[in-house]
Amino acid sequence: MTRIDRAYDRRTFLKLAGATAAIAACGGATPAASPTATLKSDPTGTAAAPSPAPVTGTLSVYSALNESTNNEFFKAFNVAYPKVTVNVLPLAAAGELQTRIRTEKASPKADIFIGGSSEFHDPLGKEGLLEAYLAPNAKDIDAKFKEATGLWTGWYTGIFGFISNNSRLGEVGNKKPATWDDLLDPAWKGKLVLPDPVKTGGGYIFIATQIFRFNKDEAKAMDFMKKLHANIAQYVPTSPGALTLIDQGQFVGCPNWAHDILTEKGKGNPIDLTIPTDTGFEVGAVSIVKGTKNLPAAQALVNWSITKDAGDLNVKLSNRGSTRADVAPAAGSPKLSDVKLVNYDRQWATDNKDRLLKLWQQTVGL
Amino acid sequence: MRSLQREPGVLLALLAVIALVGAFIVYPQLRVIATPGTGYVDFITGGTWIRSTSQSIQVMLLSTTSAVLLGFVFAYGMVYTNMPWKRFFRVIGILPLLSPPFVVAAAYVILFGPRGLISYNVFGQSPNIFGLGGIWGVQTIAFFPFAYQLIADVLSRSDARLEQAARNLGAGPWQVFRTVTLPLSRPGLGAAILTTAIYVLEDFGNPALIGGTFTVLPTQAYGLISGFGDLPGATAVSTLLLALALILYVAKIRLDGGRSFVTVSGRASSMPRPPVPVALTWTCFAACLALSIVILTVYGSLLVSALTLNFPTILTPTLQHFQYITTGTNGTALQNTLVFGLVAAAFSAVFALVAGWLIERGSWRGRRALDFLLIMPAAIPGLFFGIGYATAFNEPWLDWLDRGVLIIISMIFWNITVGYQAAVAGLRQIDRTMDEAATSLGASSLRGFRDILVPMLGGSLRVGFVTTFVRAVTTLSVVIFLFTPSSTVATIRIFQLVNDLNFGRATAFTVADIGMAMAALGVFAILARGRVALGAARA
Repeated sequence: MTRIDRAYDRRTFLKLAGATAAIAACGGATPAASPTATLKSDPTGTAAAPSPAPVTGTLSVYSALNESTNNEFFKAFNVAYPKVTVNVLPLAAAGELQTRIRTEKASPKADIFIGGSSEFHDPLGKEGLLEAYLAPNAKDIDAKFKEATGLWTGWYTGIFGFISNNSRLGEVGNKKPATWDDLLDPAWKGKLVLPDPVKTGGGYIFIATQIFRFNKDEAKAMDFMKKLHANIAQYVPTSPGALTLIDQGQFVGCPNWAHDILTEKGKGNPIDLTIPTDTGFEVGAVSIVKGTKNLPAAQALVNWSITKDAGDLNVKLSNRGSTRADVAPAAGSPKLSDVKLVNYDRQWATDNKDRLLKLWQQTVGL
Repeated sequence: MRSLQREPGVLLALLAVIALVGAFIVYPQLRVIATPGTGYVDFITGGTWIRSTSQSIQVMLLSTTSAVLLGFVFAYGMVYTNMPWKRFFRVIGILPLLSPPFVVAAAYVILFGPRGLISYNVFGQSPNIFGLGGIWGVQTIAFFPFAYQLIADVLSRSDARLEQAARNLGAGPWQVFRTVTLPLSRPGLGAAILTTAIYVLEDFGNPALIGGTFTVLPTQAYGLISGFGDLPGATAVSTLLLALALILYVAKIRLDGGRSFVTVSGRASSMPRPPVPVALTWTCFAACLALSIVILTVYGSLLVSALTLNFPTILTPTLQHFQYITTGTNGTALQNTLVFGLVAAAFSAVFALVAGWLIERGSWRGRRALDFLLIMPAAIPGLFFGIGYATAFNEPWLDWLDRGVLIIISMIFWNITVGYQAAVAGLRQIDRTMDEAATSLGASSLRGFRDILVPMLGGSLRVGFVTTFVRAVTTLSVVIFLFTPSSTVATIRIFQLVNDLNFGRATAFTVADIGMAMAALGVFAILARGRVALGAARA
């Protein structure tokens, strides 16, 4: 019985496979043509959508955003573009999404890659896996927040801050760090954690920040990282995981994302946010995956996410900042222009990431 | 089994097994193995693998030893003694299998971390659980159930008459255990050690969350992917893991080579096992109880977290986390988890049994190769099994293939090993004369397999089903590169919630997932009992 089934399954499989290949070969042009067709036959859409061109179809979005942000953010996009069905694949781990896009390049499954700092988008662009798009609204975005040819567009910002557990701060003399150098105080030994620079975007931005703080003197920066290593109890595999450890008081402090620290404080955890001087920041990006089956809708989403409305909404949902100057930061949240930032050369940091991470691994012996 | 030419049915079954193994184990893995290309040279000369390999081996030796010892004590207590609370222990023995490691590891930190509720609040200690010690402890609890399942299956099939005979001839309980029970359970023990060792070797979740800077091969591979986008380097690490598994496999073949472990012969035995000394019974009971307390504490903390606002900081009771998991696509995720797990488990168990029979009872060439190919998946970290599928089957001409189906297929073949090992171990204990009697009376080999062997292999079938099911419902890494919005599963949702810093919701989801899996296994146990009784009646 089983034997017959197997043989049959295999035959059917091959037959079906052959048929599909044939269909794919003959009808390759259809998907691209259909949005235009529906576009013409749908004059009513124009009134509902604020954008001049009504867009339709489905959009597959790989999103590294937080759970709560995802739901509300795409709901709002749907208000602006009611005829687009957004299928979100949520995975709050930009590295995994990047790998997925790489492994799927033979037959891309995503139209949009949203969220995660630009360091995750930029290499995909260089490998030719992204579709360049200079969004009309990008005129309102400063050049340092976007890729010049439009491979990715920055739509939010995150500042690197420091979380400390109030009930254990006494163990380090009740002093929150005013500068990163304050963390070298031996009192912090074994009480500090850091998001793993290799496994998290935040951990790497921390290293890059140190390099820019010493005017690209890598030797000085590595010397700092080595001294800091002596105080660090643990490199945590995810940035949120590190926050949890401080919430629980397992350790006393950790450099981490300011917006996430604020969110944690809002939940009633006994923690505080400080922003040491000379800190770094991330630019959260959105990009279109090459091979998208719905370019008009993909472009609409990119263009929409850099509107003031989308920026305001994201600030409310995630406590992050916006790349638009006209979007006010969340309550209690630092504004990019109010904190003392290092001169963060994003392109250089992205291009030298592999080399610097290896240098750091050698320096601290990991 | 007669020669293949004379039995077209068997030949066809064999070809089908080879084709499926080729398509769904060999081909995707070849894609992974081929990825580095010349990158292997850089990888080997780079030398970064030396420390992670030696640390991997270190962890493997420690965790396998402790997990197999615990598993053996548990299995011995369950099968040989008449200790109380067996039903309770049976549930406990499966609990650690039913939850994704990344949630449980978080619970260990909350309980036993530097400011853990138990380590610090109760004992005033501030242990650094991140590192070798932490991995060892967590893996012991996580993997002893696999050893327990395999060993219990073998022990329960060993012949009580041999032991009674030894006792009647004047041997003491310890001597019987050492000279009769232990040698006869060698294939099962060997399989249990091999499987546990391989699972420990490929374990990613526990070392990633609790290993700290103690890097093992799977975490090194993950770091290469997520930090450097270095897929070639990462796949080279995966190949290295396969090589280690091959060494283990050869060692195991050497160990039990050529001996006979037959314990089930023609006549059925209804003889009770010789009584175990009271002291031993209570020692086993105490050990099982101690282990159960640890496990219940960990899982109890998940339940408390699911029912409180922000565990362990804010302990206000609430049902909001459970309300949340009934909203949106969360229900779909739970449903998918159940369906994928059950379908994969059923196929995997049956396939493992057929393959086990073809290989153990057959005498054709190339058996050993197929044998290794069926053990190999256990050594492939889920991440690379998933990447293999994502690269091999993500072709435009395969786009019609439903991703849910692909996920199920990946779960069948990734988890084939335990069921297959159980089938082989079971068959090696059943005297060949049993099925040969049937064939010499004119039945085909297939019929002898179906009517004589399968009813006697209910235990192996059960092991295969249960293992595949629990691994399928708890895996994250296999699915992470394959799932789509409509084929999302519980582990993906839980992972998302943990990363979203919503431990309450994550644990509520975990509790629902465990509860659902428990219920499914309970129903399966009831159904299986009926089937086994049916098989016995027919025999």
